[in-house]
Amino acid sequence: MTTRDQETVPAAGAADGGATGELDAALGERVLSRRGWLADAYTGLLGLGLASLVGRELAAGDADTAGHWQPGRGQTHFAPRAQRVLQIFCPGAASHIDLWEHKPALEKYHGQPLPGAEQLVSFQGKNGNLMQSPWPFVPCGQSGKMISSLLPQMAQHVDDIAFIHSMMSKTNTHGPGCVFMNTGHVTEGFPSAGAWTSYALGSANDNLPTYVALPDVRGEPPNGKANWSNGFLAAQHQAIVMNAQQPIRNLPRPADIASEEDEATRTLLAQLNDHHAAQRPGEDLLRARIESYALAARMQLSAPEVTDLTREPAAVHQRYGTEDPNRLKAAYARNCLLARRLLERGVRYVNLYCASRASGVDGLLNWDAHKTLKPDYERHCPVFDQPTATLLADLKERGLLADTLVLWTTEFGRMPTHQEGTTGRDHNPDGFTCWMMGAGVRGGVSYGATDEFGRRAELDPVTVWDFYATVLHVLGFDHQRLTYYHNGLDRRLTDVQGHVLHAVLTYS
Amino acid sequence: MLVRDDAQRHGRRIPGTAGGGWAEFLDTRSDGTKHMNLGVRIGLAAVTLAGSTAALAADDDPARFFEQRVKVILVERCLACHGADRKGGLDLRQKDTALQGGDSGTALEPGQPDASLLIEYVESQEMPPDQPLSADESLVLRQWVEQGAYYPPVPLNPIAVSTSRRAGYDWWSLRPLADPAPPDVASTPDGGVPAAWTEHPIDRFVVAGLTAAGLRPSPPADRRTLVRRATYDLTGLPPTADEVDQFVGDARPDAYERLIDRLLASPHYGEHWGRHWLDVVRFGESNGYERNVVIDNAWPFRDYVIRSLNQDKPLDQLIREHLAGDVLGPGDPEAEVGTAFLVCGPYDDVGNQDAVQAAQIRADAIDDMVRATGEAFLGLTIGCARCHDHKFDPVTQRDYYSWYATFAGVHHGSRDVARPDERRARDERTAPLLARKATLAGQRDALEQAIVARGEAQAAAWEARWTRPPAARRGTEETFAPVAARYVRLVADGVDTNPAARTGYRIDEFEVWSAEDVPRNVALAHGGAEAIGRNPVAEDFADAYSPSLTIDGEFGATWIAASPELTIVLPEPTTINRVVFSSDRQGAGGALAEAAFVCEYRIEVSPDNRQWTEVATGADRQPVHAAHRRQRLLAAAGTQEERQELARLQAELAATDRTLAEIPPLPRWWVGDMRPAGGPFHVFLGGSPQRPGDSVVAQSLGALGEYVPAYTLAPDAAEADRRRALADWLTHPDNPLTPRVLANRVWHYHFGRGIVDTPSDFGFMGGRPTHPALLDWLARQLQTARWQLKPLHKQIMLSQAYQQSSRYDPAAAGIDADSRWLWRFPPRRLAAEEIRDTFLSLSGKLAPDNGGPGFRLYRYLQDNVATYVPLDTHGPDTYRRAVYHQNARATRIDLLTDFDAPDCAFAAPRRDATTTPLQALTLLNHRFTLDMAQAWAARLEQDVARATPSHGRDNGADVAGPQVERAFRQAFHRLPSAAERAAAAALVTQHGLPALCRALLNSNELVFVD
Repeated sequence: MTTRDQETVPAAGAADGGATGELDAALGERVLSRRGWLADAYTGLLGLGLASLVGRELAAGDADTAGHWQPGRGQTHFAPRAQRVLQIFCPGAASHIDLWEHKPALEKYHGQPLPGAEQLVSFQGKNGNLMQSPWPFVPCGQSGKMISSLLPQMAQHVDDIAFIHSMMSKTNTHGPGCVFMNTGHVTEGFPSAGAWTSYALGSANDNLPTYVALPDVRGEPPNGKANWSNGFLAAQHQAIVMNAQQPIRNLPRPADIASEEDEATRTLLAQLNDHHAAQRPGEDLLRARIESYALAARMQLSAPEVTDLTREPAAVHQRYGTEDPNRLKAAYARNCLLARRLLERGVRYVNLYCASRASGVDGLLNWDAHKTLKPDYERHCPVFDQPTATLLADLKERGLLADTLVLWTTEFGRMPTHQEGTTGRDHNPDGFTCWMMGAGVRGGVSYGATDEFGRRAELDPVTVWDFYATVLHVLGFDHQRLTYYHNGLDRRLTDVQGHVLHAVLTYS
Repeated sequence: MLVRDDAQRHGRRIPGTAGGGWAEFLDTRSDGTKHMNLGVRIGLAAVTLAGSTAALAADDDPARFFEQRVKVILVERCLACHGADRKGGLDLRQKDTALQGGDSGTALEPGQPDASLLIEYVESQEMPPDQPLSADESLVLRQWVEQGAYYPPVPLNPIAVSTSRRAGYDWWSLRPLADPAPPDVASTPDGGVPAAWTEHPIDRFVVAGLTAAGLRPSPPADRRTLVRRATYDLTGLPPTADEVDQFVGDARPDAYERLIDRLLASPHYGEHWGRHWLDVVRFGESNGYERNVVIDNAWPFRDYVIRSLNQDKPLDQLIREHLAGDVLGPGDPEAEVGTAFLVCGPYDDVGNQDAVQAAQIRADAIDDMVRATGEAFLGLTIGCARCHDHKFDPVTQRDYYSWYATFAGVHHGSRDVARPDERRARDERTAPLLARKATLAGQRDALEQAIVARGEAQAAAWEARWTRPPAARRGTEETFAPVAARYVRLVADGVDTNPAARTGYRIDEFEVWSAEDVPRNVALAHGGAEAIGRNPVAEDFADAYSPSLTIDGEFGATWIAASPELTIVLPEPTTINRVVFSSDRQGAGGALAEAAFVCEYRIEVSPDNRQWTEVATGADRQPVHAAHRRQRLLAAAGTQEERQELARLQAELAATDRTLAEIPPLPRWWVGDMRPAGGPFHVFLGGSPQRPGDSVVAQSLGALGEYVPAYTLAPDAAEADRRRALADWLTHPDNPLTPRVLANRVWHYHFGRGIVDTPSDFGFMGGRPTHPALLDWLARQLQTARWQLKPLHKQIMLSQAYQQSSRYDPAAAGIDADSRWLWRFPPRRLAAEEIRDTFLSLSGKLAPDNGGPGFRLYRYLQDNVATYVPLDTHGPDTYRRAVYHQNARATRIDLLTDFDAPDCAFAAPRRDATTTPLQALTLLNHRFTLDMAQAWAARLEQDVARATPSHGRDNGADVAGPQVERAFRQAFHRLPSAAERAAAAALVTQHGLPALCRALLNSNELVFVD
């Protein structure tokens, strides 16, 4: 798949594309909000099977008659590099200085006070002295990028990754931090990046959700469903939640209803609805709802096929680690495999979580190593390493990496000091690492840096808004023009901030 | 005609509308939504339209010329930089600073435009930098300078004047309520104005708008449609088949009015309109943010809202109670419960130790109250002035922080809400018991002290027996004579963090070693061993604290003891002689409670899990802490009698506690925890509590200063006075916003769309009123009716506009697709709650309800943070109206969420009505639909059986016919057509009546209201 080079670029259809012009319109087109029902010039065309007409026209490259960009129609502001996004999220604040950003000074000054911050009080309280990472960093790839030896398989990918080492968060609390990292706002109620993408582009397939969240087998991330919320965007833009352990809710026909009965019931329903709509010509919402039942039926056929991992060869399972004796790793590996199957079938945005919420014991269910960094990360890294590395390799081998933007994110970093009386690290919102890969992202580079100890972003600080300005840019959008009115403001994923990080892209 | 030139907005006139003094244009937003903007920026419109050509004639009154022509240019195009910001050193707000000029020199030479830099820059189009002034505009400035550059004595206030870029104090919604007379309209022979539309004031306003837009009203709806519409509108429930028949057959002239009266008197009215209000005030029953813990005592507010609406409590009173119920009616639960409004929004309760973050969290909590109050009652997005002055509305940061100072004493939490006599009665019952408790505790402490003192005297003897080092978290070993065992158990008698506790300790590994030449750890899961012990359950991740973690061969994760015993089942009987156990083998946890360890213990073995033999004990170890030492002395030095006496005292204390617990506590509700406000307060520059700016006090908003009596409280004003002052100001008879916003909300819920289509935003970014005069008329009616809603409902519903048909008309839709001019009644989809309530109603399962604690359609899990898992089956305890659902934040509840019930993170002044495939899946396949279909089918069968003679029952077709008929009448309030009847009967015959019910529950006709 290559990126098309047109001014207004219809996003490519699903991998099986081609004869699905009618279906390209898909969910986004058919799914009407009351808002869209108002004075929308397209309303007359939507719903009634004529949605396909809109879809075809736009696929031919038009915006609207005035040349304005329209949301949800596969149009972008300019030529995109990415057709889809995979966002891997390690909740709990995965430590930048123990995974991705090497700090020799921590080894050199281990046990000494952090200069200028001897009385540092952070989220859980007082901090002790500097603490070196319990594991050595090792040079990897052609670039020689140093990452933790805890991630031996991820090492193979560093030459394709642009590390951003100078991320900053507004909050030092997990829940708001995760929500901030996903929505650009610390408070709940705002749309996640996936929801914005769904709103901006609409669907690229006719029978699967546009945006999917795959929570970890250990549970939901901090702040749970707010991380994949549609916020104030219409309900169809929220993520559909599933994972390899848990199918889409209400998808299958109930066990006690025979397929003949189901069929006959739907047939009658269609007759009743047709009769009702025929008496009310012109009511697009009625047609839209009829169409939504047809879409639901198609989804019932397609979704089980996607989630059926038994269709994958044994060697693939082996490689991902889906049968690993470590049950957590096996479960995450299945979600990685599922993520690949979703992406290759045209799901636009996949949120893949590795770990979950804050439990009764810090650092047990997620990367929140407050007290016992070493045992905690020796639990989490083996879960993360092989399945993630395999997923990335698999995307690359299948050619999907060319137009799939991969993001690795966490909500903030950790302190270079140990927490007083412990061998763990407290929350550090002032510096942390995220990375990007694929779809025109420069590989083997590190952008920005924290100070010599890893305490604060120092070189080229990057905000969450900069990060998403870049994501939207790769998707073909000017983040300042992708807006939605809500309670007094034209809202944006990037709030009133954000600069595209051109330095991490191979193109301008 | 005014068209905003903002690049994101493209002005578009509605075809067929006449200007008529208003400048109408459609405002196409970048998100694809549309806002009809009627240019009611009165001041601006008048000025620009009136003056567009003629004004170039020099005005001989410089003051008038300045007011009408110059001011708007300066404010709109110059003051953003050359006002308070003094860019280039230039301040054009008043004459003396303007005359001083800026860094480049003299800006203004009165009478000499050619010597004035301002004119030079403007005419050379160097200024303003974003877009040059029009030729007209620069000419105005030139004339103004020529005439002497008149300035009024008071400096220009950039936010006082509305411009094409922002609203000022003269913004339409901030002006006093007009007292408009309904226009005189005469019926026209062509039916454009039917005679029936010339009487009711509302109809006269509406039909005038229709005529101007080239539209005409629709004919009246049929009675079946009308009764269904009105019933859903006022109660959120469908009418029964009998109610429809009764109304359709009621020939009395006032039948419709009687219908409205009956519906307004129904207790279901308050449930339905209460739900609307709860949307507006962002009522939610969990705290949101990371922990999102459910709040179980917020429901009294929901019941209070429902009750208040049913009683038709004046809304100004309701609003005042929302802000200051505890101040207005202390000791009166019915008033005090209102303040739940302030604290029913989301807030962060995570307990941050970082002082900077803690201050930010507190500021966020108050921000929620400021925004909720501004949006719900004033339709002003005051929250936008948190970091800087509002970009679009005349709200300053000072305004924002004066409200911050108003709410600064309000904290999220509960209060005892009880009348004084209830408090007294309870105190009288508890006082003697509390005294008794104190006496008993004193006796116990004295006795313990005496025993310990005796123990201390002989301490050396006891200590001599404590020969071994204390139990150690990093590893405690016990060796013993070889013994054959199948079961090995650890029994805890004390934990190192609490000598009296027997649970709550952790074990990261428990090893059992065989007595062999080469000992083996036989307590390993992968070797076939099993560990048994209770642990706190994290339901969404059951193994989180499991005892299996003690035999997994790894030290990372720990079992948390919820039972004193940990039992290891060996794979086979084995001779053993050693155990090793720890809570923190790697020493990572240090002294933290997270690594709590058992320190007083026994090790026992058994061949059969019944007969236990003690093989080791920690009793001869040194105590880990002084408290443990004391506990041991207490146990050792007491006499038999003393121990009995201690046990007796303990038992009596426990009994007293039980008696106390039996006395019902005072009602404790989630209505806010009011504390002194503190202060002084400051503007936070950039919104950061770390950057205090000017000091502020609680005071009224500047924007309405001209019309509503202003107040400014002393810096040390009492907390209660702050909220009372704001409550009084919001509901002051001269405050135009509150009644306007409220009247618009009522209209919005009746017609699906407000006269202003952004019901919580009457500012610049919000919509403009389609019918401004009607809005003011409605607001006046509301005030006249002493802020009671029921008369307003009735007035609106008696209009022809409300009673007209919803029939679609392509020609009219071509002009006004959304029927904002009301050429038809806008049809709507039922809201999520209405759909669920309708299912329950049809099935006959809807429970009569008096409120009380809500029901849940989720399983609530809490392990530090909360998780909400939607239920696959909804039991009969959930067969209540959806308004009684305990709505938590950031949850997904199948039918409710799918059909756009909002997450209550923000207020939801209007609901979406989306159409998605997920809705279809949920309505087709969730157990709730199937249960409802079955219950409804059973009810239909019973009804038909009762009505049908017994000889017909055996014949399926004979029964199916009446069942189908009855089902259609109940669901659609009509009989099936012949084709429908045949198809439905065929389905019933082949697959049973529940199949038909399932189809009908999914039908469009059920979920849309004409």
